[in-house]
Amino acid sequence: MPSHSRGAGGAPFLRPGEWTLLAAIVAAVVFTALADSNHSYWQRPLDSLRDIARNAALLGIFALGSTVVIIAGGIDLSAGSMIALSGTVCATTMLALAPAEMAGFKPVGPAVVAAGCLASLVAGFLVGTLHAWLVTTIRLPPFIATLATLVGLRSFARALCESTTAAFTPTKSALINVADPFFKAVRDNVWVPVAVFALLAVITWLILTRTVLGRHVHALGGNEAAARLAGIRTDNVKWFAYVFGAMTAALAGLFYVGNESVAAPVNQGRGHELNAIAAAVVGGCSLSGGVGTVPGTVLGAVFLRVVIDAVSKIIKTGADVYEGLIVGIVVVVAVTLAQIGQMARGGRRLLPGALGLCAIPTLAVLGGAVVAMMASPRAGAATGIGAFVLLGLLRRWETRHTVVSAS
Amino acid sequence: MNGTTLAAEPAIVMRGLTKRFPGVVALDDVSLEVAVGELHAICGENGAGKSTLMKILSGVQRPDAGDLEVHGRPVRFGGTREAEQAGIAIIHQELALVDDLPVAANVFLGRERRTALGLVDDRTQADETARLLADLDCAIDPWARTGGLRVGDQQLVEIAKALSVNASIVVMDEPTSALTEAESARLERTIARLRARGTTILYISHKMDEVFRLADRITVLRDGRHVRTVDRVATTPREVTGWMVGRDVAGHDGARRRLRGDRVLEVRDLTLPWPGHARGRRLDGVSFDLHAGEILGVAGLMGAGRTELLETIFGASDPTWTGSIRLAGRPVRFTHPYEACRAGVAMVTEDRKRLGLFPDLDVAANVSLCSLTKALRNGLLSRSAEENLVSGPIRATGVKAPGPHAAVTGLSGGNQQKCIIGRWLLTEPRVLLLDDPTRGVDVGAKAELYTLIDGLCRDGLAVLLTSSELPELLALADRIIVLSEGRLTATFDRQEANEQAIMEAATGGAPRVGGPEAQVPT
Repeated sequence: MPSHSRGAGGAPFLRPGEWTLLAAIVAAVVFTALADSNHSYWQRPLDSLRDIARNAALLGIFALGSTVVIIAGGIDLSAGSMIALSGTVCATTMLALAPAEMAGFKPVGPAVVAAGCLASLVAGFLVGTLHAWLVTTIRLPPFIATLATLVGLRSFARALCESTTAAFTPTKSALINVADPFFKAVRDNVWVPVAVFALLAVITWLILTRTVLGRHVHALGGNEAAARLAGIRTDNVKWFAYVFGAMTAALAGLFYVGNESVAAPVNQGRGHELNAIAAAVVGGCSLSGGVGTVPGTVLGAVFLRVVIDAVSKIIKTGADVYEGLIVGIVVVVAVTLAQIGQMARGGRRLLPGALGLCAIPTLAVLGGAVVAMMASPRAGAATGIGAFVLLGLLRRWETRHTVVSAS
Repeated sequence: MNGTTLAAEPAIVMRGLTKRFPGVVALDDVSLEVAVGELHAICGENGAGKSTLMKILSGVQRPDAGDLEVHGRPVRFGGTREAEQAGIAIIHQELALVDDLPVAANVFLGRERRTALGLVDDRTQADETARLLADLDCAIDPWARTGGLRVGDQQLVEIAKALSVNASIVVMDEPTSALTEAESARLERTIARLRARGTTILYISHKMDEVFRLADRITVLRDGRHVRTVDRVATTPREVTGWMVGRDVAGHDGARRRLRGDRVLEVRDLTLPWPGHARGRRLDGVSFDLHAGEILGVAGLMGAGRTELLETIFGASDPTWTGSIRLAGRPVRFTHPYEACRAGVAMVTEDRKRLGLFPDLDVAANVSLCSLTKALRNGLLSRSAEENLVSGPIRATGVKAPGPHAAVTGLSGGNQQKCIIGRWLLTEPRVLLLDDPTRGVDVGAKAELYTLIDGLCRDGLAVLLTSSELPELLALADRIIVLSEGRLTATFDRQEANEQAIMEAATGGAPRVGGPEAQVPT
């Protein structure tokens, strides 16, 4: 989809692709309301809304960070591990400052909570700085730099958790329970993460569209060499982008601690970095940089959560079972739809040559298996066979069409 | 040769070829026949459609309309491989070789010879490459790393590649643009040898002397349209040039005296090392002065160090240079373009698409980029303030755009370049570095850019201008310095400069015509 950056304020709030996304969200909700045999959207609308709102807000917070990094032409793979590290830093700080209260599941007091949260945000700043330094000074590709921290930070968090618990409690542990009422309140009042997400979205939107720094982020991602030659200090812009990415993940990490009443570095936030990147991409960000909007990412995050919720409601399993599968399919479908017009105009074929031939059974088996697991084996078989026939016909049509135009 | 071969079935027939790109019609209903065995020159200014024509012939792009026949067979290439199978080989202007592979591997890239086991047969490839290169009368080691060869040798490797597919039609896209005279002479011998075998050659060039030495027939394109095709013997270079530009080539009258002001830029003994390269130095002891209200031209072949000179002044190259640069008397040493901008130096880069333009930003954002602080209201960017800010330079440079928020990628090359010049004018520079500013710009826009640059200079700006086209420098510059392999080999006043003398200095032949010190006024 050809996209042009919004200039300074005043341009239409949503672009065509974003209206489509909004319509898709509404469609998914309506479909779930109709197709869910438990009618949970009718019977308990507030619970459902609360659930989606909390999950979308948590995902959205660090998806905004990923968006800034992606628009700046980089990538941050470490958000999930940063979430784990942030929670652990917060919990270990509180444990060190108030070991007795933490062990006894008692309130630790606002000062200790504030210290813990502050320590997490500082950790985010440090990690973002590390990324920027690796990328600009050592000239590591962002993919490599943040892959290293994706793996490293989680391990670091676990080690931090174990050595701190060893020092301040009788036994060392891979998790720290957090029972302070502040975190309980954050868990029980869903408007808190939603409000924080909304505020952060507005701030991010202002930065990206109405400040010099934001314009420089777009310029850097669109054409890095030209940005440098235009006198933009690209290293500083990257520093901002990676710090913003890591600090939003750190902020999200605090909410995860609240949600789960525990800092668990082994599993907390695992794989979430890809959800954040998916939300940004579904929202219209280009991984080659320079293109993307805050409204797009907000809608992308909401859409992902709505679809995940829809599947869990309709099939009645835990949302987490199919989460990865759904995210994967949504990303592929969204990006494909965004460029399908271009493919048709450019005369590109969907199923060319031997690769296309092998893709037909692959897609049929994949679709059939997914439906078989989600619904019934019979429906799966029907889907598989149906997909096979349809794709076969499509290939036939494509081949004929090309032959005709070549003669 | 011509006349005898024209009777046979044509090698190539084009009928009504049309290709559109956003904002520009690159080829407009072009019809052309090329006879078997002839050397057919295609002439035209930049943007005339020569390269698009060639891309269609080589299968890189598909025409929006029109038919193509090769040896009487209608073809519609879906890719370069299909064009190769039809016997067409292309020698690209920008060489399409993989630097890190050996010569032989490049020659057989995509068509590797295999052993009985299906593995790549490097030995056979090397032997065949050696034979092909020997046919071309040159001694290049087939095992040598391609990236380490001189440009002229790389071009011969491309030609060997074309021969290895037994191409009956060879298309050469401005093959001598990067060659020294000796290398050009060798290329002409190669062409003679190819013609002796009956190869049809399409020779794309805008250099009249070459065209008139080599061609049987000449086709002129202008603004994507076919102007005419003539026998070489029936025309003159002056006539062809006239068709190319579409009007009398009086040239720009930059000859009128400008008022030279104070010395603004003083470069002494500028040397930029080139680690790991045989030459050792990208720039070697370059000294010159630049005054307000003066255009100083920098001539030189590709790789002579023109861009490096401008980038070093602008703080965009490695900060390892030695020597001294003084801006308005103060010694400066920029380590980042940011500092150069702040000090009043602006640079319009050579490769507009890669180093100048922001395709995702609109026209206004492309122009305002270096001066965004002037578009702030209450600390935030204001759309109306930005529109006000850019309206000045857009008008001054004559950008033709649907509006300030139009997509910059939809503009023509000339208008894009004006946007970038406008961007820098907003920074109110004292020194403007222009690196080949009219590259890829059509003839009409070129004239407008000349007028613009001349006007800026008369307003007191000091302009350092490089160009790959000598007539451009001769028309615009007050003085011309010539670089050859990183060294300053000559300085000319406009009265004493001519193409012959500059080319001699650029190829390293001429003695120094007056040192830079001799130019320092009192």
